Amino acid sequence: MKRISLIALILVSALFFKANAQETTVLKEKISEVDDKVSGLTERLATDEADLQKLAKIKVSGYIQAQWQNYENLNTQPANFFSLRRVRVKFTYEAADGIKFVLQPDFSPGALALKDAYVVMNDHWTKTLSLWMGKFNRPNYEVEYSSSQREIAERSLIIRTLYPGERALGAKLEYNPVNVPFHLQFALLNGNDGLTIANSAGVNLNTNENKDIDNYKDIMVRATYNLSLGSFGGLDFGAHGYFGSLKSNAVNTLSSDYATVTSVKIGDAVKRNWVGGEFQLFADVLGGMSLKGEYIAGKNATVGYAPVAAVGTTAAVPGVANFQNNFAGYYLYFIKNLGKKNQFAFRYDYYDPNTDVTGKDVNVKKFTPTDATVLKSKTVGKGDLATSTFGFALHHYFDDNIRISLNYDIVQNEKVGSTAGVSNLMENYTKADGTVVKNGLDYSKNVNNNLLTLRIQAKF
Amino acid sequence: MKSINIKKFAVVAILLGLIGFAFAPAADKIVVKGSDTLVILAQKWAEVYMKSNPSVAIQVTGGGSGVGISALINGATDIANASRKMKNTEKEKLKARYNTLGVEVACAKDGITIYLNPANKVKELTIKQLSEIFKGNIKNWKEVGGANEDIKLYGRENSSGTYVFFQENVVKGDYAPSCQTLPGTAAVVNAVTKDPAGIGYGGAAYATGIEICKVKKDDNSKGSIPTAETIKTGEYPITRYLYMYLRNKPTGAMKSYIDWILSPEGQKLVVEMGYFPVK
Repeated sequence: MKRISLIALILVSALFFKANAQETTVLKEKISEVDDKVSGLTERLATDEADLQKLAKIKVSGYIQAQWQNYENLNTQPANFFSLRRVRVKFTYEAADGIKFVLQPDFSPGALALKDAYVVMNDHWTKTLSLWMGKFNRPNYEVEYSSSQREIAERSLIIRTLYPGERALGAKLEYNPVNVPFHLQFALLNGNDGLTIANSAGVNLNTNENKDIDNYKDIMVRATYNLSLGSFGGLDFGAHGYFGSLKSNAVNTLSSDYATVTSVKIGDAVKRNWVGGEFQLFADVLGGMSLKGEYIAGKNATVGYAPVAAVGTTAAVPGVANFQNNFAGYYLYFIKNLGKKNQFAFRYDYYDPNTDVTGKDVNVKKFTPTDATVLKSKTVGKGDLATSTFGFALHHYFDDNIRISLNYDIVQNEKVGSTAGVSNLMENYTKADGTVVKNGLDYSKNVNNNLLTLRIQAKF
Repeated sequence: MKSINIKKFAVVAILLGLIGFAFAPAADKIVVKGSDTLVILAQKWAEVYMKSNPSVAIQVTGGGSGVGISALINGATDIANASRKMKNTEKEKLKARYNTLGVEVACAKDGITIYLNPANKVKELTIKQLSEIFKGNIKNWKEVGGANEDIKLYGRENSSGTYVFFQENVVKGDYAPSCQTLPGTAAVVNAVTKDPAGIGYGGAAYATGIEICKVKKDDNSKGSIPTAETIKTGEYPITRYLYMYLRNKPTGAMKSYIDWILSPEGQKLVVEMGYFPVK
């Protein structure tokens, strides 16, 4: 009996240990399985993290500006309309430390355009220099100040005239020393961006802005310094210069006074040089305010064309001289924060495209060539009149992303004076019903050009 | 052609003069956001201040120095706490939005502390060694006198002021890709506590239940840990100010609060919470 009991005990124990060993094996298998799964997940997580790190190098920002505008100019039809001023998405890819690619298309309806496309490389050694190449903003305060931040709806007239489209193709070197608040920009540009260069048939020769129209490269330099004024605020000041040329397609150049004509060869440089001084004063007064201004003066140029001889039945076309106009202009901003959410801005901006003639000279034929079949005569025109604009704006910052702006521009033209024997400058305008009003716009008075803009901006 | 309308200028000048008197009323609600290093001190300040000033409501959140400064720029906070200085790009954004350069208030000092697991044989490192470790050039503890074990790096996210300060002043280059970024100094301390091969960095106030590594300026100098004395004398080599940034010069309730923080009473809390006073 004792023996049977012992055998039974051994058998039960064997069964128990067998079961236990089986359980341990199953458990080990389970642990191994879970371990494999965790390893797999860790590996996948590492891959995902690596992918995510690559994605984190891409930054997407942008803004949309939708607006309603009411033009008081009698010649603008329709006088009021909704439009999309900006529909921009900016992609920035930081390929490596100190290397950045930027691409910014504008998706405005009917005007899809590439605004920015450039590469920035920062030097690894001194960390003070950066090289830009591609299409980027020209170095100027108002140009580089984004329209998503700007306090008046449009840039000043002088800036819009000198730097059409703001961007230019070229290369730029920036110097930003680490411990000195000094900034220097030196750019070498094609110089043809946004210009119209017509031939004798009136065709614009500058349609491919991805390529220069001549071998002349334009130079732009801008230097600024940030001066701290302690607890009062700060003063940023600086200067910029533009030193450029356009290839002459004409055989004469007419100066700003419309009287002096000189001979040039086709292919010679027609100079476009100007300099400007700028300041921005920021004051921590009653919630924050700033005064900003810039004065620019110099010589701009438009390129004419050579006379075309008669061929067969095609008549001869007289040439048009290059024109170098002395100009001057400035703008002055006053910006005041009204609490955290609101802001008021005022800007006075003045631009005189020709400082060598006055309103009294308009319609005066100043240049008469000896041979009218070779060169066209020149008469002082509307394009020589100065313009001053008083801009008022109120902004409400709805939240981090939304800004609502109401802007009113009072635009005033230089008055045309009466000169004995010369007719006044008058223009026709067309009413909404298509009726043409003869001489309805009289430039001896102010021609109403005021503009009301209501804009909503969404920025992300 | 010359034409300037003087009369209109005069009208505009009067209008601007009137608008010039408009200003924001001082609010009794103060929103504070930013540095995770400072958040526990900022919360303590707010808690104590509100007890004695019940009419003032102070709301404190973290998120990192970069997050706080962004919130200051977009108007979402009144005070941005930061464990680094404001960058020029951030100042430019503040200028563009609020037409001011901001106000910087140094409110405490901190020693960036190097956290090690108590099991780690290494107890002292030079700045150069720390740089090489966090760049990923020194990969094994045996290279700095420890066990033959791979170094595990723990750090902060790039929105953190501590991340930026440590990178600019110690690492002086890119962090190793293997450095695991964690959302807050407490998480860094926690990770190193659990990992015998771990090393991390962060504010001195968070260094509880962990080994504090002695730091040497170079091979020839004496190693030290952040204490009131070593911070004051400059012996501890990774010392920094902690800041509060404001959009404008403080007025009303905000001014009273800032003045109180800088007073002996406010600075006493700095010490109590494990930070170091400004003076």
